[in-house]
Amino acid sequence: MSRRAFPVWTLLGVVLVAALVAGSGVFSSTPPTAAQRAAAIESGLRCPSCEDLSVADSSAPTAVTVRNVVGQMVGEGRTDQQIDAYLVARYGASIVLDPPASGWTLLVWLLPVVGGVATVAVVVTLLVRRRRSFGADPVAGDAGPLDVATVAERTRFLDQSLADADAEYLAGDLSDKDYLALRRRDMTRLAALDARSGELEGVGAGVGTGVMVADQPPAPSAAEPSEATGRQRTVRPRRSGWFLVGAVAAFGAALVVAVALFATNRLPGQTATGSITLSQSQRTAETLAQAATYQDEGQLAQAAQLYQSVLAGHPDNEVALAQLGWLEFESGRQGGSATLISDGRAKLNRAVSLDPGDYAVRLYLGTVALQQDGDPTGALAQYRLFLADDPPAALVQQAAGEIRQAFALAGLPVPAAVPTG
Amino acid sequence: MNAGPETADVALDPDPGAGPPTEEHRPPAGRHTARWVALVVLVVGAGLIAVLASRPPAAVVEAQNPLVGKPAPPVAGVTLDGTRFALPRAPGRFIVVNFFASWCEPCQTEGPDLVQFQFEHQRAGDASMVSVVFDDTQSAARAYQESLGVTWPTLSDPGGTLALTFGVRAPPTTFIIAPDGRVVASIIARVSAGDLDRFIAEAKADHP
Repeated sequence: MSRRAFPVWTLLGVVLVAALVAGSGVFSSTPPTAAQRAAAIESGLRCPSCEDLSVADSSAPTAVTVRNVVGQMVGEGRTDQQIDAYLVARYGASIVLDPPASGWTLLVWLLPVVGGVATVAVVVTLLVRRRRSFGADPVAGDAGPLDVATVAERTRFLDQSLADADAEYLAGDLSDKDYLALRRRDMTRLAALDARSGELEGVGAGVGTGVMVADQPPAPSAAEPSEATGRQRTVRPRRSGWFLVGAVAAFGAALVVAVALFATNRLPGQTATGSITLSQSQRTAETLAQAATYQDEGQLAQAAQLYQSVLAGHPDNEVALAQLGWLEFESGRQGGSATLISDGRAKLNRAVSLDPGDYAVRLYLGTVALQQDGDPTGALAQYRLFLADDPPAALVQQAAGEIRQAFALAGLPVPAAVPTG
Repeated sequence: MNAGPETADVALDPDPGAGPPTEEHRPPAGRHTARWVALVVLVVGAGLIAVLASRPPAAVVEAQNPLVGKPAPPVAGVTLDGTRFALPRAPGRFIVVNFFASWCEPCQTEGPDLVQFQFEHQRAGDASMVSVVFDDTQSAARAYQESLGVTWPTLSDPGGTLALTFGVRAPPTTFIIAPDGRVVASIIARVSAGDLDRFIAEAKADHP
């Protein structure tokens, strides 16, 4: 059984190490994209205004700001260290989630390694000791040559121990059970010693032992069976002990590999174990919702910034394209900027090509056609598509003025769905 | 293994309750191991206590803004009135930069003190206030400041970029910038006019 256990334990260790190495993605060949790099940095930064939440996982405004700055700096080609240093110079070292590997916080990094090594050492020591105690009685001894002096010394020690036990028992300091156990142990050792001393030339020292054993009739009969089982046991545990040492060593090696691999930040492509963070799409949805809230509150600059951050990671996000296009068009019209207007129009056209069924884009394009191009027919076509898509009543209400204007310019009756002002 | 000794037990001692049970004799080596382990645990424990007791509390470390003693980041942007504002690199007087939000309760408490501070120092011309909106709508911030009677410039800081360059985590956070442009203090709690005067006096004493 113990002989078979060795390959099984080793196999387990090898499988564990292999799984950790493969799962860590060390061998994944694709270099991270800018968005992946930014996401990896963000997941290693603490959200400035919350407790123990990464910038990547938080939707707090301060976290959004840090995300924007990180995205911008990644775009400028700054290194991870430069970005960390920039933020540490402002928020202090606590902005980085990983404690610094210097000074007292170095302990945080070293203690697990020290603890692991110490645990392995203790387990190995215990195993080795157990193996020895099975194999060799520390007093009687069963390995190595014995000389007459050693036998005499050990016999004296055991005699003294028995005498002490007797004295303590008589004084009432020892229970019956303990006394018997002590006696049995020492008698067993004496018997073993006696047997060993027989092998020696000078038997003189062994005489006393023989007499002692003969003096105590109950002991040898009780001792013999336990000694016999003890001797049988010596053969097997010795091997399985070493196999266990091997298994523990393999496990220790796996731990060391694991610590070495996971001590650094993993990039998103490397996730193997899974983690409790928002998925990319969840985060996008959250950002879009936040942007919509800003837009409703009239904080258009913030909203535009969020839409831009979404587009930085997902250039084809139709909602962000549509909303940012509309914001650019509106601010371009207000500020008289032709570039902004054409930028906005390009985004709206791209959004409509990505999702022709989005009523919001139809409404925006209709208004662009009506207000910017003076093209009521084009506007009418878009507004019809808008109304055909069953938009929410509140939105129709909001846009009612422009829609009625377009129908009036085309000389057509206003559809019943559009409320009259 | 138990059957034999138990019968011998009875035969040997007819009165089992006579002696109190004690632990079996252990080899001296075991006792030494325990002693050493206890000693190591004691030393490590004492060391940890000493280290932890001698360190400043986490809250104080958090409050130590790395900007203090360094040149202030540029304070520039659009005010709530829509005008551009930029603080000179060396403003020539003490500038108190206060990050606030209308929803923040300690900000509301310290508001009247800031107004009083500005009023007292406006004439002397040795210090003045600049406010920065932190995570608040412009309309709410404007309404709040109008209710206080604020007359100094207030930057709207869209997107929180100014807050980031100052490492602001939550309102209210107040910085004091010396006439030469260095940050001399950062306070992450409610401040009173007296606090500000004291910080300025200390800065003047350090750099006359």
